[in-house]
Amino acid sequence: MSISMSFFSPPTPTHLLISFSSKPHFTDKTIFFLRPANPLLLSAPKVSTDNGAGISAAIEEPKAEQKVAEPAGSAPEGEKSSLGSNGAVADAGVKLESKFVDPRWIGGTWDLTQFQKDGSTDWDAVIDAEVRRRKWLEGNPESSSNDDPVVFDTSIIPWWAWIKRFHLPEAERLNGRAAMIGFFMAYVVDSLTGVGLVDQMNNFFCKTLLFIAVAGVLLIRKNEDIETLKKLLDETTFYDKQWQATWQDETPSSSTAE
Amino acid sequence: MKIISPSNLTVDFGSKTLKPHESIPMLRREVLDSFLRFRAQSSGAHLIPALVTHLEVPSSSTEPYIIHHTSNNTKRTLAVDVIIGADGANSRVAKSIKAGNYTCAIAFQERIRLPEEKMEYYQNLAEMYVGNDVSPDFYAWVFPKCDHVAVGTGTVCAKPDIKAYQRGIRERVSHKINGGKVIKVEAHPIPEHPRPTRVRGRVALVGDAAGYVTKCSGEGIYFAAKSGRMCGEAIVKASEGGEKMVSEEDLKREYLREWDSKFMKTFRFLDLLQRVFYGSNAAREALVELCGDEYVQRMTFDSYLYKKLANGDRWEDVKMVLNTIGSLVRCKIVEREMEALKV
Repeated sequence: MSISMSFFSPPTPTHLLISFSSKPHFTDKTIFFLRPANPLLLSAPKVSTDNGAGISAAIEEPKAEQKVAEPAGSAPEGEKSSLGSNGAVADAGVKLESKFVDPRWIGGTWDLTQFQKDGSTDWDAVIDAEVRRRKWLEGNPESSSNDDPVVFDTSIIPWWAWIKRFHLPEAERLNGRAAMIGFFMAYVVDSLTGVGLVDQMNNFFCKTLLFIAVAGVLLIRKNEDIETLKKLLDETTFYDKQWQATWQDETPSSSTAE
Repeated sequence: MKIISPSNLTVDFGSKTLKPHESIPMLRREVLDSFLRFRAQSSGAHLIPALVTHLEVPSSSTEPYIIHHTSNNTKRTLAVDVIIGADGANSRVAKSIKAGNYTCAIAFQERIRLPEEKMEYYQNLAEMYVGNDVSPDFYAWVFPKCDHVAVGTGTVCAKPDIKAYQRGIRERVSHKINGGKVIKVEAHPIPEHPRPTRVRGRVALVGDAAGYVTKCSGEGIYFAAKSGRMCGEAIVKASEGGEKMVSEEDLKREYLREWDSKFMKTFRFLDLLQRVFYGSNAAREALVELCGDEYVQRMTFDSYLYKKLANGDRWEDVKMVLNTIGSLVRCKIVEREMEALKV
């Protein structure tokens, strides 16, 4: 997992590919690269069980030009040389026969036993792996197959894992904002009107302001949100308007002679 | 039916939740259309095979409408009192009464004859694919049609790219349609919302001509038939069996108002579903996840088969809403992380 992580941070995976230390894996990776361009898929099943495949699955996503560069590198490699020439020919044809392969992706779902960390499942890693898989699929839509159905869905990951990783930081940020605004406004109102905090809470106007402040913090988190909310309101009522259009000109049309 | 998400999560929709007398019907229009025509004729309708060229709208309410049509290479006219325009998305009747325009989706479909073993799989199974590669705002499908399959897709906002989307769906099912032969290619516009005017004078529009196609599922056949029937019944009632002249108010009251009160909620709800679930790959993933739930399936079938928004168990409804929110939130988070990867 950590190996694949490192491949995403640098902007030029090509360099990393060349500098990758374990030479035996190098050729396997390049063969794997050719796979998408090669409809024959000769060595695919063998490669998939290899350690290198996990890494190549991660690289496969970005660079198409590397496919052209690699055949030259793999040609000398004995049994795979036929793939080299085939890859070059098939490169011209566009049909992408690719399949998502990862050592932890077994039987159409993530094998949770491979995600163990300190005895329990590392859900963050599962989420990362699934994100990678969907990202890869977006660029290389895979043909659906009956023998190999995907059964992983996000509800397998428990709710608290999602909350811990995504909700809590955001909640902290929003609560912080609300607290800052609240303290500052309470101070300003107190200094202007002399009404203390407890008395402010009893006042209807102050309660309304508090409500607006909370709603504002929740709904408007970025500048774009204001536009989004306005558009949302428009969209919600648009379809209805289209249906009501027939009744809009009820009075004018009945007055025109038939 | 199977629903397949962009990440190929496959959900079986209906094999356990459909009752024995229920099913998702697939039909061949060429067969249905001729059946309906024949049935109308045997019930007493007078069939005139011709091409309607245009419609003359009278200037006073006592004059008839003149329908100019061509049959057997001769131009003819027909004078009538009331017209029901059922001529589909490119309705000439609608143009003649200046009913206004609507936005259309384009649906593109290829009929493919499959080899025996592959057709075996689709004998009793339809498939629905969602994803940006097959359609940016609609779904793609593989529907069995008795002895061949129809593979197609549709879109509203990206019509010039429809061929690319068709390629996309062909690739998504490539294993299952390998060796098949394309026997027909069809495309048609599908209205997205009703025309601004559906009744003008003594002319009423029904079906696709009026724009009665639901969002989300793109269903129009039932609504076309039902609106035709409702309009016909309205005319019979308002004219008291053909004795009185029908007016625009009669049509609006008996037909339009009845129709809107009966079906507007369904249309509105499906529009909401489309806006929530067809917007992005994340939303589509959430949709497919939700469709795996039995309660969702049961509610869907009850609404779809009986054309009425089904009333379910309130407690289950609450659970369903919570699951919906949960799925949407999770899938949106995954999408956000995916965006982060790109950057």
